[in-house]
Amino acid sequence: MISEQAKQQIDTWVAKYPAGYQSSAVMEALKIVQAENDGSLTSELIQAVADYLEMPVISAHEVATFYENYNHKPVGKHVIRFCHNISCMLNGADDLISYLETKTGVKTGEVSEDGLVSVKKVECLGACVGAPMFQIGDQYYENLTPQKIDEILDGLQ
Amino acid sequence: MVDIEIEIDGNVVHGHSGESIISIADREGIDIPRFCYHKKLSVAANCRMCLVDVEGNPKPQPACSTPASAGMRVHTNNEKAKASQKAVMEFLLINHPLDCPICDQGGECELQDVAMEYGSDVSKFNEGKRIVADKGIGALIQTDMTRCIHCTRCVRFGAEVAGIVEMGATGRGEELKIEPFLSEGIQSELSGNMIDVCPVGALTSKPFRYEVRSWQMSSVQSVARHDLVGSNVFTQTHKGKVKRVVARDNESVNETWISDRDRFSYEGLANENRALTPKIKVKGEWQEVSWETALEAAISGIKKNSAEAFGALASKNATLEELYLLQKLTRELGSENLDTRLDVANPSSASALETTISLTGLEAVDHALIINSYLRLEQPMINHRIRKATLQGAKVSTVNAKAFDFNYRVASSVLSAPQNTVVTLSGVLKVLLESNSQALPDYLKGTKVNQAQIDIANALSAAENGVVVLGEQVSSNPCADQVAKLVEQIAKASNAKTLNASATGNTLSAEKVSFKPNGGLNAKQMFDADLNAFVLLDVYPAFDCVDSAAAIENLSRDDAFVVALNSFEDASVLSFADVILPLASFYETSGTHINIENVAQSYSASVKAAGDSKPGWKVLKVLADLLELPGFDYTDSSQVADDALSLSPSLAATEVDIIAMEVPNIATVWQYTPYASDVLTRHSQSLQQTQIGQVSEATVSEATAKILELSQGDCYKGVPVNINETVAEGCVFVHTNQARQR
Amino acid sequence: MNEVCFKNIDKENPSSLATYEATGGYSVWRKILHGELSPEAILGELKTSGLRGRGGAGFPTGLKWSFMPRNQDGQKYVVCNSDEGEPGTCKDRDILRFNPHSVIEGMAIAGYVMGATVGYNYIRGEFMEPYYRFEEALKEAYDAGLLGGDIGDSEVNFDLHTHLGAGAYICGEETALLESLEGKKGQPRFKPPFPANVGLYGMPTTINNTESFASVPDILARGGQWFADLGVPNSGGCKLFSVTGHVTKPANFEIPMGTPFSELLKMAGGLREGRTLKAVIPGGSSTPVLPADDAMKMTMDYDSIEQVGSMLGAGSVIVMDDTTCMVAALTRLAHFYYDESCGQCTPCREGTGWMYRVLKRIMDGQGKIQDLDLLMSVQDKIMGNTICALGDAAAMPVESFIRHFRHEFEYYIKHGKSMVENDG
Repeated sequence: MISEQAKQQIDTWVAKYPAGYQSSAVMEALKIVQAENDGSLTSELIQAVADYLEMPVISAHEVATFYENYNHKPVGKHVIRFCHNISCMLNGADDLISYLETKTGVKTGEVSEDGLVSVKKVECLGACVGAPMFQIGDQYYENLTPQKIDEILDGLQ
Repeated sequence: MVDIEIEIDGNVVHGHSGESIISIADREGIDIPRFCYHKKLSVAANCRMCLVDVEGNPKPQPACSTPASAGMRVHTNNEKAKASQKAVMEFLLINHPLDCPICDQGGECELQDVAMEYGSDVSKFNEGKRIVADKGIGALIQTDMTRCIHCTRCVRFGAEVAGIVEMGATGRGEELKIEPFLSEGIQSELSGNMIDVCPVGALTSKPFRYEVRSWQMSSVQSVARHDLVGSNVFTQTHKGKVKRVVARDNESVNETWISDRDRFSYEGLANENRALTPKIKVKGEWQEVSWETALEAAISGIKKNSAEAFGALASKNATLEELYLLQKLTRELGSENLDTRLDVANPSSASALETTISLTGLEAVDHALIINSYLRLEQPMINHRIRKATLQGAKVSTVNAKAFDFNYRVASSVLSAPQNTVVTLSGVLKVLLESNSQALPDYLKGTKVNQAQIDIANALSAAENGVVVLGEQVSSNPCADQVAKLVEQIAKASNAKTLNASATGNTLSAEKVSFKPNGGLNAKQMFDADLNAFVLLDVYPAFDCVDSAAAIENLSRDDAFVVALNSFEDASVLSFADVILPLASFYETSGTHINIENVAQSYSASVKAAGDSKPGWKVLKVLADLLELPGFDYTDSSQVADDALSLSPSLAATEVDIIAMEVPNIATVWQYTPYASDVLTRHSQSLQQTQIGQVSEATVSEATAKILELSQGDCYKGVPVNINETVAEGCVFVHTNQARQR
Repeated sequence: MNEVCFKNIDKENPSSLATYEATGGYSVWRKILHGELSPEAILGELKTSGLRGRGGAGFPTGLKWSFMPRNQDGQKYVVCNSDEGEPGTCKDRDILRFNPHSVIEGMAIAGYVMGATVGYNYIRGEFMEPYYRFEEALKEAYDAGLLGGDIGDSEVNFDLHTHLGAGAYICGEETALLESLEGKKGQPRFKPPFPANVGLYGMPTTINNTESFASVPDILARGGQWFADLGVPNSGGCKLFSVTGHVTKPANFEIPMGTPFSELLKMAGGLREGRTLKAVIPGGSSTPVLPADDAMKMTMDYDSIEQVGSMLGAGSVIVMDDTTCMVAALTRLAHFYYDESCGQCTPCREGTGWMYRVLKRIMDGQGKIQDLDLLMSVQDKIMGNTICALGDAAAMPVESFIRHFRHEFEYYIKHGKSMVENDG
């Protein structure tokens, strides 16, 4: 269920915490496992993480449903996480989200037919001076305009 | 902890520094509303209902999490406190469905009660109410999570008391949901307490669902007699039926908890298989008859035979009064053939291992050695006390035929098949005696010692407050006597206490009245002999007897006259018995239970006996009268109890020698699920539907399976085989809800 | 401007160890390693500096450190709160990206002062670029022998690890952050006990904001008094302000405390052409909104902002011009708190959703005039009644927006649309 490579990655996190507190690594472990399973979690994966970290599965499930970064439904290869909080809103985020939806044909919360992108509205991502902005993977894209969005979308594959 | 003075609502009260305000207020009888606070659970401070005004604090403070300090002035009902409490109440109600008319919690709902005082009559909330989908959590607990107020008492109960983290609070914000991970059902043997701790109707009793409104019931104080604790309960009755059983606080017995077995077994009372009418067998056909006719048939059958050919067998769950009267009747007849130890492979004439520790004492142990026991399922409340000790750092080691699922960590465990247990324990004893520089008795001189035995011995001797617990699986062992003797010696050599949980139910009442032969035949011997008359007190040989087939065969002889006092009809009993006298079941008779601390707890009948059945003590008294035996002029069961309790057991105990006995190469350990442990639980449908109740598995190691030529999925004594390495070599561990087969 | 946390921001490779050391970085830490600086002296300088917690609460850092039972045996922890997520705030991200070594040095010093040998920097899960930069810096510091066990035979031990969040604003609350670090849901703990006594894994713990830690090395290098003098009384030093919203050059500015808002507005390029100032949220979304007139009166320090009716918070200045629909802006903020409430305690779990739904209804043209009193009553019932400050944070915007801009809400309810012709 969890690849050897993922286990090694998880182990590097476990090593950061005192002995017996390996469940501190659950947040990263869930992310690592999510990443190698097309970006979303299943009950089986959560169970596997809980077993690996020797913690009650309900506790892992609590974590997986509490934090926003975990997905429990299939997502696109690229998840566009669009900030729609106050600073971005004041700088036209809502219009740009509509633009993005039209351009990709994907409504927020949905996945494109080819599975390439999904769009998610998220709360403040802490890059307010670059509003409006969104995140794809590890990358922030700031000071967005329709043209800039076009270019970014063209670069996705 | 210093004694301090604080002021609550102008009254000077006393508490300990650091004690919570709510705890002081509760002791002083000052009412502070609360939902999440529970005296037996950790503080969560999440419901905010107990906000009070503490002078000097700009914000109201939760009484549950605010430690008292000297001179503190607290107001629980000034304007500021009231405003906060009312605010919280308003928030709790906006998403709470006002379905009180169809809610089983109605009338005993903490939310309803507090709303009466702190709620507003009009809701200002006009948005859609939250609806929560239910996952369902098994046969015992009905979930209506839309009613949940997220106090997390059930979650904390699971984590802190049950010791199995099953329920959690998932999601966040308004979407926060109290639920288990999967809907397979809760595994804990204490799960029903979640119903009691739930302040609203989110978790209610499933068997009780829509039965009757809570205020229509009467509550009767009673005592559960399924195990050695005798948990205190209230039976809640309506129109002569027990509708529900809930915990009754008794700090020294069951605190505030009861096991699921104690809570839900009552369901069996209404089972269609109850024995309701006296019956006699005429030419092989059963006829329903009057009590008089049945009793006459019974005594004439008994009188026909000599005293030496008479035997009495009784259930371990019978009341003290019943056991007392039946032994008196037997002895007055001139017979010493009597026993309750039907499930014991080799009933002993030695005196039983003494219990030298109290229930609260168990909480203070620093090491527990558990032998031959799945204590969590056998004696849930005793196990709970040990779990509490483990939370304070106590270590547990086990010597068992199988690795069991305890709700605490087992530091070291030795797998030992029954035939090897004497050797295993001898090794432990040898290490202990040697480390004490004590002389070794002869039987230990040749004993070899391994590391596991050394570890156990060292852990025990290092403990300041150790306890050795002997559980009910020892009864399958032909060398049970020797095991018990070794336990006693080990405890002595390590200065540990002992706890004898080898027989359950009301066994200590049987001990009290010496319901075992003094020179006569024990249960096993009775079935090897050809007795001509038997009285069986709520005995069901198919389940209860260690060699059920032999027992049934013996009782079925043409020249064996059997009077069966039965609370339930049973096919095998009907096949061999000659007279059936219907017996009042649990909660239908007054009686007395003697618990592990030797505390006799008497209770009255909660409801009238079902059908024409009658309380056992009355039936036995009348039987004795009709047999013209002296000394049975009782008019009340309490007189019987008085006589019984004035006895002191006076049986001469024989010495036990630790000798090599002939033991089988491969042994069977037979254990019923806790919900097949007595006739009432076996007839409680909801308990049977739980995960614990449905277990039926003969576990065997691969090597042993090979010898026995067993494969996965085969049946061993009628029970499906499961091959894995959790079990000791050389034995089959049967854990089942099925009757014994050869 | 840009004298402390941002002092290297315009240099080449601002995040590198070389750049950091070139401007005196790790000089304080080296002094400590050479046994030339005592914990008492450090605490004294910190108290003199007037440094107050930069995460939003403004609690004096020196005092906070002094609460730690530093002579008590057993493991103690230093934790850095880089879970930046307050709408309008993005300063810590830039510290992590451009001056990570100041955070490392600040945390190491804190560990030394409090006898804590292990530190964790909790970085929000989305901050991957800052995380990589911080990890690089950490590696540089270890490679340079500045961290680890018995550092340079000094008998000083300090190990530092990063922990990543996974998307929960509430983890910026220090006890929720500790829960999260322990691998649990980020639900705040009730207090007392405080983290200084019962913190991470039950051990004494001090938690400070990224900017607070980053300010420490310079304060100690240049003296507490120097720092204090940069600012004004009760608001020592300089601070980062994120200026966002309707300004032409939104950016982070490190400026002396007490700088007039009007100057800060100018630094951010002022308003867009033809626009007038309508309102300012001075300290991040959780602080009360100020109408233009009040905002223009304030100087950027704790007391002045409090005087005009708000709070300095994390220094997150959200500027709104006359095109802003205050109903829409508040609805947006209400949704945020509704979305981010951890759900643990009743008033916040139930109240944030209630407020959001009423506002949403108003936005949908279904508002009733009584809704405004209802909103005021609901926020009042949340205020002060919750475990953590998120309840108050959710209440204050509602209270202040309606108090100052009630006419806009009334207009919206009456006409079913905004008073503002918003052309962007």
